[in-house]
Amino acid sequence: MIRPHRLNITAPALTTAATILLVEDDGALRTLTARALRQSGFNVLTAATGAEMWVTLRETSVQLIVLDIMLPGTSGFDLFRRLRRESDVPIIFVSARGSEEDRVLGLELGADDYLAKPFSTRELAARVSAVLRRGGGLDGIAESTSAGRVSDAIAFEGWHVSPTRRELRSPSGAIVDLTGAEFDLLTTFLTYPQRVLGRERLMELSRARIGDSSDRSIDVLVSRLRRKLQAEGSDAPIITVRGVGYMFKAEVRPA
Amino acid sequence: MTARRLVALFRRIGLPERLLAVLLLVIIVDFAANSLLFDRANSFELRRDDAERISENLILATRMMERAATPGRDRLADDLSSSHFALDWVPANERQRGAVGLANLRAQIVEIAPELAHSDLELHLEELPGRGNIGGSVRLEDRSVLRFHTHAHAAWSLTAGRIISFIMPTLLLVLLAWILLRATLRPLRNLIGAARQLGDGLPQPVPERGPDELRSLIRALNEMQERIHQSLNDRTHTMLAIGHDLKTPLSRMSLRLDDPAVEPDVREGLQHDIDEMRMLLESLQAYVDSDGKAIPIEQVDVAVMAETLVNTAADRGADVCYFGPPHLEIRVRPVAVRRALSNLIDNAVHYGGNARVFVRRDGGAAEVTVEDDGPGIPEDRIADALQPFVRLDTARARDTAGMGLGLAIVRKAVRNENGTLDLRNRPEGGLRATIRLPLTSD
Repeated sequence: MIRPHRLNITAPALTTAATILLVEDDGALRTLTARALRQSGFNVLTAATGAEMWVTLRETSVQLIVLDIMLPGTSGFDLFRRLRRESDVPIIFVSARGSEEDRVLGLELGADDYLAKPFSTRELAARVSAVLRRGGGLDGIAESTSAGRVSDAIAFEGWHVSPTRRELRSPSGAIVDLTGAEFDLLTTFLTYPQRVLGRERLMELSRARIGDSSDRSIDVLVSRLRRKLQAEGSDAPIITVRGVGYMFKAEVRPA
Repeated sequence: MTARRLVALFRRIGLPERLLAVLLLVIIVDFAANSLLFDRANSFELRRDDAERISENLILATRMMERAATPGRDRLADDLSSSHFALDWVPANERQRGAVGLANLRAQIVEIAPELAHSDLELHLEELPGRGNIGGSVRLEDRSVLRFHTHAHAAWSLTAGRIISFIMPTLLLVLLAWILLRATLRPLRNLIGAARQLGDGLPQPVPERGPDELRSLIRALNEMQERIHQSLNDRTHTMLAIGHDLKTPLSRMSLRLDDPAVEPDVREGLQHDIDEMRMLLESLQAYVDSDGKAIPIEQVDVAVMAETLVNTAADRGADVCYFGPPHLEIRVRPVAVRRALSNLIDNAVHYGGNARVFVRRDGGAAEVTVEDDGPGIPEDRIADALQPFVRLDTARARDTAGMGLGLAIVRKAVRNENGTLDLRNRPEGGLRATIRLPLTSD
């Protein structure tokens, strides 16, 4: 994999450097992960155990926690539940298990994202940025529920999108798969509904998101997305604006 | 040839039927022995009994008849008749002949009453039932004939009714025995069912029922089930633990590679190695996970799923095409099915060089077919291809990533959804894998 925008991917959109608490029991990995996050422009605090984490949380305010759920002592999930009860800080959990059940359970418990080991600096930074950006509100369309947390569902014309799970569901409730690039494109459309977006702008906005960058042109991605969003007897909600670009015409609301 | 067919036929006979056959044989031998020995001895006594009675009656009747006047003989015969010994008198010279096998009886009667020999005693079996089973006649001194009908106890005639009344209890007994045998052997059948599912999911103890031998067999099998489950569990846990423990050092390696001091060439090479190791561990995890049914069943658009996998592969530069409807919804565990389809496409691209993916609705099922134009699989190795940890490429050509789990994962995942996987070589060359999944989960 070639990653040309490895270090400059972190959002210039983030106004001030966010403080991230990294909870990881493996010393070497903790050091390496902290360094990777710092290189990406974040302030990083570290904790080796759950106890250390609580101490840090009491002393400092953090914008995001990266939590290894296989911590010794307490089960990561227990720690996780308590954390969710006491705070609304976004959490990305890291798991070495990489099992789908873990991922689903973690997201169910209210994690904001999931990262499977082994991960690269780029992947880590991209996920952290994405969660922070979502925490800041998707340009206001996904209204914050409480204390800056985003409601995790967006709806349009009966379709439901979950940015956390990166999941799209049809009006009948079926899971509709999208490639990473397609999902990013859809998220961009949902962020700017009923606004005409030029191809260049769409590309730029979508690329800043998490999915694997695709070399496919925006036109190809839009046509694939249309095919998938086309319900029986009705057109997909993406219309072509001749000579300019595309527009997402459906009404978007938090679900 | 016929002998072999007989043996084959015999093998097909079930245990209850064999036991029943043994029982039947015993009953038949017993029956035959009884009728041969016991009945024969008995019937002699009966004959003697009958012979004495008949001779007494006949002597009495002939003496009285001979003394009576001819016109009164009709009436007298009526008067002398009882319900067990009917008499009638005919003046003319008409006599029935032709009874066979009653010579013994006649000899016995004559032995008891020698005077009857002079009266030309004749005996026959009655053809019509009603008035008894023995008929006969004697000639009186004036050449007129006295006929009689009586009932002898001996079993000279085996009527159909008699046979049925003999066999009926036996038939009832056989029926009862068959029902009882089946009931006795039912635990054995449960055992067969349980043995067939051994190692497939959680152990399900077979209830210990039936005779002692069967109980111990069931107990032994239950214990074996437990041991197999335990050892499968151990294997799973060992594999998971290894995978888990390898991932932290892999993460460290991956992050270390992002150090700007690392040469780009070296970084790319090592990153490739790490990705390969990660894929191996992921396929191991997927294989272990594909046991689990913890992930809920959901409504899934399988057409979009297949098309998305095709697009992803195509974006990576593979020669992959999708043919099918834009939408087709089924109820399955999405992760497992996605992985199954992805494995089939990856296999086709890797071994066949290209992939064509077809999705269609076929009755109550969704059918996904993945074809390639590669060399296919040697016919005798198709079954091997589905086994876990079996790789078909020879050691020299071991350039492929993976642990030989690809198709095993597909098969497990599809089975979990009550679907089927069919793998066969195409007549035109290349391999065709077909997955059929029910549209609804129930």
